[in-house]
Amino acid sequence: MGRSLVKFAIAVLVIIVVIAVAVVASKSGGRNSLDVSQLQPAVSAPAAALSDGAVDTTKELDGHHLVAANDNYELYLYEPALSIIVKNTKTGAVMESTVRSEERLGSVNETWKGFLQSGIVVELQEETNTMQKKLGIEGSGATVSVDLIPGGFHAKLDYPTQQLGFEAEVKLYDDGSITACIPESSIYENADNKKIGNIYLFPLLGNSRLGEKEGYMFVPDGNGALIYLDDKDGRFDSGYVQKVYGPDIGVGESYVLSLLWDRYETHNDAEMILAPVYGMVHTDDKMGYLAIIEGGDEEASIYATPNGAYSDYNWITAAFRKCTTYIQPTSNSGGSVTKVTDRIKYDINVRYMFVNGADANYTGLAKRYREYLLEKDELVKVEDAFKVRLDFLGTDVENWMLWKKDAPVTTVDNIREIYADLENEGVTDILSIYKGWQDGGIFELPVTSYDVSGSIGGARELSKLMEECEQKNIDFYLFADGVRANPETGNTTFDTVKKMDKRLYTEDTHQTVYDEFVYWTPQMTLENLKTLQQNLTKKGVDKIALSEVGNTMFTYTMGDTMQTRLVSKHLYEEALKHTGETMDLMLEAPVQCYWQYAKAIVDMPISDSDYIYTDQSVPFLSIALKGILPMYGDYVNFEANERAYFLKLVETGIYPSFYLTYENPSELIYTNSSDVYTSQYSVYRSQILSYYNELRQISERTKNSMIANHEITDTGVTIVTYDNGVKLYINYTETALEADHVTVPALSYVIGGSVEKDFSTRKIGASPQFAGASGMEVNAG
Amino acid sequence: MRKKAKLVVLLALCISLILGSTAAAETPYRTYTVDGYGYVLETQSAYNPASAITKVGETSFVTPMDMAIGRDGNLYIADAGAHVVMVSTVGGEEVRMIGEGTLQSPMGVFVSDDDKVYVADRDARKVFVYDLEGTLLNEYGKPDSPIYGNTMDFKPIKVVANSTGTMYVICEGNMNGIVQISPVEGGSFLGYFGTNYTSLSPFQILQRLILTDAQRAQMLSNIPSTPTNLHIDEDGLIYTVTQGDQDMALKKLNIAGKNMLDSDPYWADLPAAVTTGQYHNMLVADSDGYIYEYNEEGELLFMFGGRDDGRQRIGLCNKVEAIAVDSSDRIYLLDSDKKQVHIFTPTEFTNLLHEALYLFSKGRYTESKEPLEKVLQMNSMFDYANQAMGHAYLQEENYTEALRYFKLAKSADGYSDAFWEVRNIWIRNYLVMAVVVIVAFAVALSLYKKRQLVKYGADGAPARLSQKVPLLGSLKYSLHFMRHPFDGCYGVKREGRASLACANILLAAYILVSIIEKYFSGFLVKTVREGRYDIITDIGTVLVIFIGLTLCNYLVVTINEGEAFLKELYCAYAYCLTPFILIKPFVVILSNVLTYNEVFLISFANIIVWVWMLVLLLISVKEINNFSVKETAKALALTAFTVLILSLLICIIYVLFSQVIDFISSVLREVVYRIGS
Repeated sequence: MGRSLVKFAIAVLVIIVVIAVAVVASKSGGRNSLDVSQLQPAVSAPAAALSDGAVDTTKELDGHHLVAANDNYELYLYEPALSIIVKNTKTGAVMESTVRSEERLGSVNETWKGFLQSGIVVELQEETNTMQKKLGIEGSGATVSVDLIPGGFHAKLDYPTQQLGFEAEVKLYDDGSITACIPESSIYENADNKKIGNIYLFPLLGNSRLGEKEGYMFVPDGNGALIYLDDKDGRFDSGYVQKVYGPDIGVGESYVLSLLWDRYETHNDAEMILAPVYGMVHTDDKMGYLAIIEGGDEEASIYATPNGAYSDYNWITAAFRKCTTYIQPTSNSGGSVTKVTDRIKYDINVRYMFVNGADANYTGLAKRYREYLLEKDELVKVEDAFKVRLDFLGTDVENWMLWKKDAPVTTVDNIREIYADLENEGVTDILSIYKGWQDGGIFELPVTSYDVSGSIGGARELSKLMEECEQKNIDFYLFADGVRANPETGNTTFDTVKKMDKRLYTEDTHQTVYDEFVYWTPQMTLENLKTLQQNLTKKGVDKIALSEVGNTMFTYTMGDTMQTRLVSKHLYEEALKHTGETMDLMLEAPVQCYWQYAKAIVDMPISDSDYIYTDQSVPFLSIALKGILPMYGDYVNFEANERAYFLKLVETGIYPSFYLTYENPSELIYTNSSDVYTSQYSVYRSQILSYYNELRQISERTKNSMIANHEITDTGVTIVTYDNGVKLYINYTETALEADHVTVPALSYVIGGSVEKDFSTRKIGASPQFAGASGMEVNAG
Repeated sequence: MRKKAKLVVLLALCISLILGSTAAAETPYRTYTVDGYGYVLETQSAYNPASAITKVGETSFVTPMDMAIGRDGNLYIADAGAHVVMVSTVGGEEVRMIGEGTLQSPMGVFVSDDDKVYVADRDARKVFVYDLEGTLLNEYGKPDSPIYGNTMDFKPIKVVANSTGTMYVICEGNMNGIVQISPVEGGSFLGYFGTNYTSLSPFQILQRLILTDAQRAQMLSNIPSTPTNLHIDEDGLIYTVTQGDQDMALKKLNIAGKNMLDSDPYWADLPAAVTTGQYHNMLVADSDGYIYEYNEEGELLFMFGGRDDGRQRIGLCNKVEAIAVDSSDRIYLLDSDKKQVHIFTPTEFTNLLHEALYLFSKGRYTESKEPLEKVLQMNSMFDYANQAMGHAYLQEENYTEALRYFKLAKSADGYSDAFWEVRNIWIRNYLVMAVVVIVAFAVALSLYKKRQLVKYGADGAPARLSQKVPLLGSLKYSLHFMRHPFDGCYGVKREGRASLACANILLAAYILVSIIEKYFSGFLVKTVREGRYDIITDIGTVLVIFIGLTLCNYLVVTINEGEAFLKELYCAYAYCLTPFILIKPFVVILSNVLTYNEVFLISFANIIVWVWMLVLLLISVKEINNFSVKETAKALALTAFTVLILSLLICIIYVLFSQVIDFISSVLREVVYRIGS
């Protein structure tokens, strides 16, 4: 008896193992990773001419010799450490990429000394150590051989001890741009147990010690943030480190999850980096640069470190990940081994665009970024007309007896009624995203067909509504989540994302109906979106709002091959390009590489993440995008400081968004949308009207013009100047303030500057007053 | 250069303060509140992080342990590592240092309304009293009163003082309670205050009964915890928080040391500090960085914050030591791990709520409706506001509106009060009409009966349906069974009056009625959330219990010479459910029109139903098996034992099974790993 049981158990096990092997083998054989050249489009050189004129290479500066020059800038190089200095020939101001003087270096340990003194720093991945070792150039026995080439230099770095190396090329252009690149093809790693972990390119370019310089580092946190170059008195022991385009879910680098009562997620995620840029400005020298990561942005992290953390220096840089470690669990009880990924293949390209004079500030950097985007066709000008964004939630489901039951909160008829009501009040410029329109509610995923929920009115009604919107000039978008898959509503056995450790990635919702979601592989997302596009186009739907696709990037595995973030970016781009061919696309907080496909950006971050070491929040992205691509903010509903949020909208030129339901959102309490705690239209009606009227009035004045300047005066007034001369004065404080002889009431704003329009035609808003005779309008809240 | 840098720092600070107080940056944490059911839901941010103080002037914190706010608006921070109390403006500028050279290990600081600074110094074993300028006024050492205890050490770690100067001191290692010291005669000991007590769980009592003295000595001693922190409000009420006290972590003590909170509102494990705001609102900081705000009754308004875990964002803390609130409702949180003071400003949402709290506490209910309405407009699911609206309407004698809001707020007490009034009005309006209807119905019924009598004569009624259909007959038999159980059991056992179909129907009816009771009872007696259904579990539970019990009982009686067959037992037990099936529907209807004043009627009816069923059950066991009373008792005891064994068996099988599954999945993972590498 006993023996036969054992035999039976063994037989079962053998069968299981065979099946497992078969499954794994069949999946691994299928799709292979894509080729690097396919994934990374070639980076084109700046439009400006290469500064390839002959220079006097004997000219020296601080031990560096001249390698390239143009009318404004000179590029110097110190070969042994690959250190560069950029000098503004007009003012004599310089930005150095290393700390040469031993005296200034102070007492730092050898590792940090190597870091501070090298133009390129490699972090070495030895065996499976989770701590990577920093290798400078001089201290590590690396050899550097430099060839001067027209406009710059070409360097070959070899680390004989570690048996690895690569080449780098740096060139100066006439517009003040310096490009630096490390091609993938030049990288070699000959030792089995020593690999390149990260590469830092000119980590200390523009460094300053303690508070010796005035100025700031610009970090692309949310809309933008500054870290001042003042003496921090050792208050911080670390600095800003964030992955460009958000965290990588595939390589568990997330925080330890601490839940309230083991149940409630209490943290809000920090704002993502949407644009692969960073900057350094020395305002006292009127010199600065904006660095744009043109290649390898998917794998880059931005480090901005104020003085006091690690060393006395302020530095900002990007680190490029070439491989990483991950934990491979081998048992349920916590057994695991650390493994190292293969090298992630991509070219590193960074363009440093130097600014000087009046442009040496964050506005200047943002404008430079705008020019860059337009030059590269990364951004296409879209007509910038003011619209209020009114999103509707159609239906979600709750558990009911054995089944799930619809909880419709906004039907098609409801929307029609809301539009009619608003039209009566003169609200006509509307953009809407309809969420939860599909059969089964908002979390019935994936959405691949025009299968409209009966509880909101059905397909015919929805189509009719869309036709009416077309006539009324209301932009009506249907919403779809392209990335998430719901294991309870779709077959998610295959084609879902497995992390580097080959475990399924799951996202806990901490909700009652569906407790977790998984992600489709980008390949599947592409297919799903193609099907959806086909089905919607057939039904005459031509506007779609996609969430997640525009801002999700991860490393994952298919079979046993690693698929990098470059793959997911590439495939998502394919998907967006394809969908965008026949449909108008609206993207939720997309990262830079997808901006060109969007008709508008929604959920644009309005501020930064409020890190302890950032000193000021600046509307960098707004300055760059305003007037080119319409931006819509997060929902006003959930704002606790409603007035301050309104003023932020005025400042950033971002249009307002509301999340609406016709019914009371308490209907949603048992659904996965229970976090929508306030959304009823009747509650928000008056607020929509006042937001619409006030912001539209401002928008009329700033329409199609771009932000020319943004500053905060000593008195605390924020002044935004548009290139048509209109000035907005915003006061966030609770006392009236004055700037430019304009008095701005507490928690309010004033429209000033050159006024072209006749005021009498404008008769909307909350009783605007005239401020003096200078053509100012005051709007007290 | 240096000066310039400093200027920049100052400017930066100003800007960050200005921006921080209003900027719409997304907070690093979420804010939650609880609804009337105790269900946690998200709400608008209550407080936004504004800025952080990392240094006082040029001095960094070493081991900051406590913080207080003076009437001058300055922060007084006791730093045990720096042996000093730092006085700082809210902008982080140094005002002065107090106690340099005197203090050894200041663990607690308190600033009284008469501008005295009390410092609890653990290592100096003294409480020092300074004026605001830092001049030492007094010092109090270990009380020499014998009541204090000669062997008891005096290690003050936290201190507060009331308006007469009486000090309340928490001492390290002193479990007797808070030491109360009067300032007269250089400090006289007044006694212990607010002592925490321990309670024994039934298990511990059992353990103590069984174990030997030696074994008991090895157990962890069950001694009360010393309060972790305390606070005194302007009325002289003392608030304490105690870590490790599961039952009463937060207490609000009156002058006599009596706790004024009915139940413990604090839900987390590691309370670190407590303070009160201007509206008698209580704020508790958890060591992990969570902040809880309650109204004066201890109802939770908000909870927010969280651990930093390397995020480095303002508003997240690692180890909170102290909390303080200033006159503009800003919250200050002292973090000894990050060595920072985090400052939070109330949002527009919270300001509205505070305004309502204030008006409400002053009895200005009608005025409080306006801010409450705005709060509800921002978040209609904020049940505290719904409840307050209900109270406001109740005061205005607008009972229907009050009823509506109380129902929204799931407030049973309020609902009961409002419903009583509404019902009163209804009775007043419709009493006459109701009497007329009842009389008319009675007349109609008697007329009908008369007609029947005329039609068929006294015995001439047509053959009843129940006589034609045997199933209906046996169903009807359940009524007889209910009233005459001995007779009924005889019928089941000897006359074959029961049928399986009938028993099944009765069981189904029982399930149906219990479901109806669960989901359709009146608001006041309902135990499930509105709109929450879990029918499958309901049915499953009844079936498993009923069938399990019957089966176990059958197994026991068969080996105890019982005469019952399984079918007979099943049928008899199903018949035992009849009182429930017949009476409960009326109870459900009644529960919809009763208030808390009459709710005893329902309890009474419930007792009748259950006792009746129990009696029927006992009689069935006895009669069907033809047992004596003694044998019945034995059979029942054995059944209970069997049930225990059965559930144990199921548990073991479950555990074993999950082990097997775990093993298989481990093997699979190993396979995936081996193949992958």
